[in-house]
Amino acid sequence: MAVVRFLLALAAVTAAHCLGTWLWNGFPLAVDLFLVLAVMVGRQGHAVPAMFGGMVAGWTADSLSGGPFGLHGLADCVVAFATALAAQQLVVQRRSSLAAIFAAAALAQSLLLMLLGYLFRAGTDAPSLLWLVAKVASTAVAGLAWTALAGAFGRRLSARRGRRRADALTLPR
Amino acid sequence: MNPRRTRLLFLALVVGQLFLLASRVRDPDAPPSLLERTFLRFTAPLGGLVAAAGGAVAEAHAARRSRAELEAENRALREEVVELRRLRLRLSGLALEAEELARGSGLTVGSGFVLRPARVVYFDRDSQLRTLLLDVGARGARRDQAVLAETGVIGRIVEVSGRWAKVQLLTDRAAAAAVLLEDARRQGVLRGAGPGRLELDYVPRQVEVAVGERLVTAGIDGVYPRGLPVGVVTAVEPGSEMFHHITIAPAADFSNLGPVFLLEREQPPTELIDRESRGGR
Repeated sequence: MAVVRFLLALAAVTAAHCLGTWLWNGFPLAVDLFLVLAVMVGRQGHAVPAMFGGMVAGWTADSLSGGPFGLHGLADCVVAFATALAAQQLVVQRRSSLAAIFAAAALAQSLLLMLLGYLFRAGTDAPSLLWLVAKVASTAVAGLAWTALAGAFGRRLSARRGRRRADALTLPR
Repeated sequence: MNPRRTRLLFLALVVGQLFLLASRVRDPDAPPSLLERTFLRFTAPLGGLVAAAGGAVAEAHAARRSRAELEAENRALREEVVELRRLRLRLSGLALEAEELARGSGLTVGSGFVLRPARVVYFDRDSQLRTLLLDVGARGARRDQAVLAETGVIGRIVEVSGRWAKVQLLTDRAAAAAVLLEDARRQGVLRGAGPGRLELDYVPRQVEVAVGERLVTAGIDGVYPRGLPVGVVTAVEPGSEMFHHITIAPAADFSNLGPVFLLEREQPPTELIDRESRGGR
């Protein structure tokens, strides 16, 4: 079930990324929804699903980018794994802390991409500071929005399940 | 899974991906792996769907705002413009061929070519890793096939998966093409230099190169036939001791990409093929 949920989220993220790029050419520079997905998987605190989830999300980003295949896969895998390790140690509930986690993930991913690009001479340009700041900020905002939406959806789902259970227990005799 | 095994698994994944990355970077011309093709098959249709939906919404909006008659006339005129531009592209090659023949240089220009339209499904022109994904239709495409816009060359196909193809843009730092300065009659190597910029290498400093001079493909790199418009010289500076440092503005407008075309070699007449195959037997 978790795998199906992940794949559905990945499809939605891919469609949103394509739509964003279609609407605005600067979208891939300013927003990385694949990273948000990787961090969301990592936040659950399970290291193995996090590393695989991050890797698959990164590979999907790679298939839409002109760089060598595996660049985002590796970076997102590392970021998601680190997020999972952090989630095992920390319980984050404040919005500001949550935003800081997403922002730190975006910063770490950008640094990793630059490092890999430099190591492998992948023909990639380093992003300007302005775009880096935009990406960090947009990842934090998108992460907060996603968390809020997922929380609201989860509460509605559990409320519905609770009502069904209560209806089943109060069947007429 | 215990933490030690998890860390080992993570390490194995990282090392495996480093190898994958290293093999891809070491041999960028290697055919795409099954993994890459699989992911492209997943993402390209989604991109196509979004582009088609977006196009449909934009078209509906335009149709509501303008009168039907005017719109039909406009569409017909646009098609005519595209057709005329295609013709101009073709004539550009033919003109060069005629010029070469007139000079008696004995150079033979490659056989004729045809242009096949392709649909852009995803275009990221601004990020560090610029990409263009095309829907090339059921006939597919082949690696190293040239891709043109109405005004000039935009790149070559580097990856094909079914009806989807990925294009390496001329402005990509890893891209190169053999080109010819139209007036100076000098060949050089064109390199991508980031968004909207190209650079021309290996033109000796003895050669006089003027700003505004046009560049066309030289037809010696096995990818682009001779005579396709590539760009215009925007700056000439002294580079090394031997060569100019020349900056080029691309002929194709990457910021406003209209219809794109795949360049295909024109097949010889079928009767000629039949005659040759009979003679060979």
